[in-house]
Amino acid sequence: MPVRTPRQRRILARVAPEQFVGRGEQLRELTGLGSARAEQKGLLLFAAPQSGVSELLRQTFDELFRQRGGPAPVYFAFTRADAATTAAGRRFLQTFLTQTLAHRRDDPALVSATPTLRTLLDLAAPQDYEWVERLIQDFERAQGEGDERALVRLCLGAPQQAAAHGARSVVMFDDIHAAEALRGEAALGPTVAQTAAQWGVPFVIAGPRRRLLDLLNGSLPLAALEGLRRLHLERLKEADARALVEGLAQRLGVPLNEETRDLVVQQLEASPYLIAAVLDAARANAASLTSFREFQSLYVDELLGGRVGRRYASALEDVAATPALRRGLLRVLYESLSNPSGKSPAEVWMKRLGADALEFERVMRLLHMHELASFHATYVETTPTTVWRDFLRVSYRLQVAAEPRALVVADTLVEALKRAPQTMARHYRRESALGLSDVLRGFNFQRVPESLLRYERWARAYRGMAGEEARAGLAAEADTLQLPQVVHAASCASFHPPMRQLCDEERCTIAHGFESGVYADAGEVVWLAVEVESKLEAGRALTELWLERLEQVAQACGFGRVRFWLVSREGFSAEAAELLDERDAYGSSREQLEHLTALLSGGGGAGDAAADEFAIELPMSEDTELIAAHTVEQIARRMEFQPEAINQIKTALVEACINAAEHSLSTERKIYNRFRVEGDKLVITVSSRGLSVPVTLPENGVAADKNNGGGEGAKGRRGWGLKLIRTLMDDVEFERVDDGTRLRMTKYLRK
Amino acid sequence: MSEPLTGTPLPAQGEVAVVYAGDYVNKLSGQRIERECLTRMERGCRALVINFRDTELVNSIGVSILLGVIDEAERRGARVAFSNVSLHTLKLFELLGLTRLVVLADREEDALATLEEFSTTPPGH
Repeated sequence: MPVRTPRQRRILARVAPEQFVGRGEQLRELTGLGSARAEQKGLLLFAAPQSGVSELLRQTFDELFRQRGGPAPVYFAFTRADAATTAAGRRFLQTFLTQTLAHRRDDPALVSATPTLRTLLDLAAPQDYEWVERLIQDFERAQGEGDERALVRLCLGAPQQAAAHGARSVVMFDDIHAAEALRGEAALGPTVAQTAAQWGVPFVIAGPRRRLLDLLNGSLPLAALEGLRRLHLERLKEADARALVEGLAQRLGVPLNEETRDLVVQQLEASPYLIAAVLDAARANAASLTSFREFQSLYVDELLGGRVGRRYASALEDVAATPALRRGLLRVLYESLSNPSGKSPAEVWMKRLGADALEFERVMRLLHMHELASFHATYVETTPTTVWRDFLRVSYRLQVAAEPRALVVADTLVEALKRAPQTMARHYRRESALGLSDVLRGFNFQRVPESLLRYERWARAYRGMAGEEARAGLAAEADTLQLPQVVHAASCASFHPPMRQLCDEERCTIAHGFESGVYADAGEVVWLAVEVESKLEAGRALTELWLERLEQVAQACGFGRVRFWLVSREGFSAEAAELLDERDAYGSSREQLEHLTALLSGGGGAGDAAADEFAIELPMSEDTELIAAHTVEQIARRMEFQPEAINQIKTALVEACINAAEHSLSTERKIYNRFRVEGDKLVITVSSRGLSVPVTLPENGVAADKNNGGGEGAKGRRGWGLKLIRTLMDDVEFERVDDGTRLRMTKYLRK
Repeated sequence: MSEPLTGTPLPAQGEVAVVYAGDYVNKLSGQRIERECLTRMERGCRALVINFRDTELVNSIGVSILLGVIDEAERRGARVAFSNVSLHTLKLFELLGLTRLVVLADREEDALATLEEFSTTPPGH
């Protein structure tokens, strides 16, 4: 993918390329369809709600448009406004011709114009005139003949016609589910899929993940869909969502602090759409996001009458077209919230809605597609996401219960504020979980020292020992035990919902597996693992309590052979360890778990696998690089680097910070330093938003970019900083990141 | 961060001046060093000792300013010596080519002694 430099003109994209975070991998895959070497011709994009799929496609459009000499990008979003399949087909033809010709003329302004077909003919270059004219004539003739299917097929066949005359394209269909509502003789979704598969031209079809295949399959599965690449678009990862909030806040001039940023990410569940809506609202209202109160106030406004509320209202209108049905649906959805399991029998829903079977099935299908509820044939489960539940409450209270608006606003705001600390606490607990699920999923018949699962043995032999020494001891241990092969692992709560009341989902896992190489009854085993919360060593009472709870879960789920594994960060008291042995249950501390994880991942032990990471953020002002230098000095001393090496590291870091300050185009004027201790090396990354790399960077580090500090001193110092960094550090590389470049330097410890 | 000090009144023409670099030679402190050196050369000083006894770190901007001082001294027929340079800083100066252009001395006294003869010898002799 070409380096995206800031301030590239946007064509269809609504967000500047450097602000479009968290989708680098997907963007690369989509733009890769434009490559002549691309193996895949078609791609299905399964999108979670509010995941920003339309913006991803628009960014792809812009990226492909900027690549001169490549195929023309075409972006087409279905909409109910077309009303009929013929109108959609016509609009597709017009869009295809407009965007293709715009690309071939290198005229981005044409993309947003709506020229008539005849005007497009006038705009066509000589080499395109013939096929454009032929298409338009064929279209006008088909329109006159009144054969709807033929007309739609003709319009959708335009990319193939163009390609036959050398006009290559990449066609992206968005909102395919909107095509289902269009009047017409044939279902448009399957027609689009069938036609696109025959084009021989790269294409993308994007739609809601729960319905995409159904929409395209129609009544029969399409052989054409098999073998197409499938790309899933989820909500953003939390780190990307944080970057999105920060980037938007900066661009829109909305004051933001870290605590509120994190709450925004958690409460809006990393949804790019919801985050953008709230930040836009903050800008429009000249509001800031520097306290929970400010954010929740804005959030409630958005819920009641802003973009967030309108989004959900629009989805509900799509599901329930008539006001009466909508009121009924709101009531049923709201009442389902009070059900602890969140599930209700489908029959009850149907009765409460007063809908016939056909209408009920349609409503359920749409609720399921929009992921507002999950329809499982015999029961319905309302989606428990925070924003949706809040919307349901306010909508029910205002529209069904007809409560005073002021009361609803006040209650909602007060509840949101009371909930905020719990939301963050839940987030921190989740982040701090030891990751038992991942560890269990790594079980695959490995032999591991028994000490790693028997706390009493571990404490006797290794407690207080340095990591490397413990690793050596473990490697020499004769007593080993064989782990099962885990074939499935999930949270305890997903097997036994009452467990949700007792611990966080991330801290209790049930893993099914086999203890021998043969998949037979005799070898089947279920591991129940839990991370016991205890600030100090877990005592006997707590250990006994958890063993009983796990026993209850095992009985309730009807598990046969079970193995219990308790993990407590600080280990277990002597009495608790004794109890574990009596019950033949495993017990591990965090340290044992780290060693186990390292062994399973092929590392040498906790000393190798564990890495400390430090991060500081500096303003770009006079001498702040010294703060970074002093920080890294302390870290390097802890690692027992030699004094000379420490000086080299400090000097290199100072140069890197100066380099970042000089080359950063960001207005936030901050430098981010990360120091990662990995066993025998120190890895330092230096980055800044909008950091650009010098134009060329030959081996001696002397850059050709004349803006690289020329003029300082009579001889100038072009490239000296990079030359010093490369000389003083062992490994140096520049990494491309979404928002520019990051410098990564490594120094190895030589004792 | 300490200011570069001379510790002595401005020398008369022909004398050797000593300028003390601070603990961090960057753009700001480098410019101070440059100013001090230029002032002394304008008053006729033809030998300069820059003492790095307190210097822990030098960055590339600082080095380029020092190069500017060396260039200016050469233009004016003056000599420059660096004294009390730490091993790390010396390696840095070697890497960037400064050590070829100046007199190096372990101590200030040695630098002064070496430069004394230059300060009294007219250029061309």
